[in-house]
Amino acid sequence: MSAAVPRPRVAALALAVGLVLADSSIVVLALPDIYRDLDTSVAGVTWVLISFNLVMALAAVPAALLARRVGPGRTAAVGLAIFAGAGLACGVADTLSTLILARCVQALGGAAAVTAALELLPATVGSERRAVTVWASAGATGAALGPAVGGILTELVSWQSIFLIQVPVALAAAVPILAVAKHEAATGILQTELRRTGRPHLWANLALAMVSAAIAAALFLLVLLLIEGWRLSPIGAAIVVTAMPLAAILGSRLGPLVPSTRARAAAGAILVSGGLAGLAFLPKAEVALTLPPQILVGIGLSLVLSALTETALGGRAPQAIHGGWTISARHAGVVIGLLALTPIFTADIAQQREDAIEAGTAVILDSNVNPLLKIDLAQQIGDRLEEEKGKVPTIGPVFESLPSDPTDRTAVEGLRSELQDQLDRGATHAFSPSFLLGALLGLLALLPIALSRRVDL
Amino acid sequence: MRAELRGRVLVGGAILAALVLVGVYLAAGGSSYTPEKTLDPCQHRPWSDPQGLGEIANQFTSSALDGAACQLGVSRETLARALATPQARERFSERYGIDDAKLARAVRAGLLRAVTDAEDAGALSPLLAGPLRATIEEIPLDQAIELINNARSLLSTAQGFLGPAENLLEGLLP
Repeated sequence: MSAAVPRPRVAALALAVGLVLADSSIVVLALPDIYRDLDTSVAGVTWVLISFNLVMALAAVPAALLARRVGPGRTAAVGLAIFAGAGLACGVADTLSTLILARCVQALGGAAAVTAALELLPATVGSERRAVTVWASAGATGAALGPAVGGILTELVSWQSIFLIQVPVALAAAVPILAVAKHEAATGILQTELRRTGRPHLWANLALAMVSAAIAAALFLLVLLLIEGWRLSPIGAAIVVTAMPLAAILGSRLGPLVPSTRARAAAGAILVSGGLAGLAFLPKAEVALTLPPQILVGIGLSLVLSALTETALGGRAPQAIHGGWTISARHAGVVIGLLALTPIFTADIAQQREDAIEAGTAVILDSNVNPLLKIDLAQQIGDRLEEEKGKVPTIGPVFESLPSDPTDRTAVEGLRSELQDQLDRGATHAFSPSFLLGALLGLLALLPIALSRRVDL
Repeated sequence: MRAELRGRVLVGGAILAALVLVGVYLAAGGSSYTPEKTLDPCQHRPWSDPQGLGEIANQFTSSALDGAACQLGVSRETLARALATPQARERFSERYGIDDAKLARAVRAGLLRAVTDAEDAGALSPLLAGPLRATIEEIPLDQAIELINNARSLLSTAQGFLGPAENLLEGLLP
């Protein structure tokens, strides 16, 4: 079979896996735009992410069972078609509830496509080991590239384009798989041998869930910090978070040098935690300072996700079912991470916003500008607070009309930078507890990693 | 290198990289990069050596806000934003349950504290302080707020109260 299978089918399967797993994070950079366009809350918009990951977590294993029953080719092709159709619905959604519903349907199709792809890959590439490597790498690449691609599309076109562009890509991936589906339909023969399903690897899947929660924290919180806290544009934030997938590519080169999956998983979890702790202790609101932590997280996620996936699938059959468990664990981890962190950072950002405004007002009151000007500035800042409830306020408009008196003008310009410094401090510090919690989750994953044993393929 | 050793090197390297990053960021002030804490308005805020009417007016405003905020149990900064406009004052009153009478008492107390602080700092002559206190005790809330917002006008008014001599106030101020 493998000798007759053309490369386009491997590419199509890898593309399908990458596309679906990118979707769990691709909207991260678009969330602020969706938040504004659909006039919702931070907690509400988080469900655009959570819903997809939750349905993926719940549907992955049933989808794998379906693939085994009706044929992986048909399941993958239908799954991709559903994914494309739901993507179109996401792209035209004009309410949050419609968008969330379409995301749920998208995840159903995605779960079918990803798990069926793992069932198809061994026959396509010639070995289970190679199949797992292709599948895990495509998934890790997709997940890592997702935010950057989403950010660029949001900035250059719109957040809707993220979903609309997936339609032709998903359909293009489905075309080479259709041949397998037609073969299954014509012959009634499944490409895979039906084998008894063994128990899922508890420790590897548990570790995957914990690490995924930590990685979700890294991606989601960093993007929010860059866009909502430091006021970067989506494309600016996309460029910044590209450091993570680039580092992940470096990490994927390191992996083959170390045969021990446990060592790779442990090192990866430590790096992810270290990177998150670094983000928790940023000494200044400077984009460059996010790069070293991102490099650690990127290398770490590549090492830990591939090692744990290999451990979870090693010696276990059928691959689709166990692959389904790993997908389920990863996405459940993302959901848990987002659900645990969202209330923490929304509360923290509200408190830090108040503290920053208080500190900024103190800067104004203690300055040497004349009292009437002070009160005017304090008043305008108060107005900004009212206008931007629940967000870190933009102070630029407050300082748009500078006083004509040169002394006052210089003093007010100084005030502006001092006030901005207080807001930057508040915005940056607001994310620290959540980053630290993410780091803790990454470290806790060391326990199941220590308990996991891999059975070689 | 043996496979086991490579694994140990990888884990050791990961631990080292994580510790170095966190250590460097903490050493660079990562744990203290937070908004500066505002001062308790009930604590005395020392006056710096004021040079001229403008600086005295600034410190007078600050003392008056501290005194009023202390009495109301809010921060000086919150009160300053609240007193900026009638709408802000209304929101403040609703949020903290403070009616106009209570606010008026606090604002007058704040102004009196500012006069005392100015006097203690040697920035205001007792000759001026007396009439100022008398004025403050009598004025309605809106005018009291106006006096906090525009301490320069208050001090200028006091100057007018003493007479037309242009240099008298500067003479009375150190």
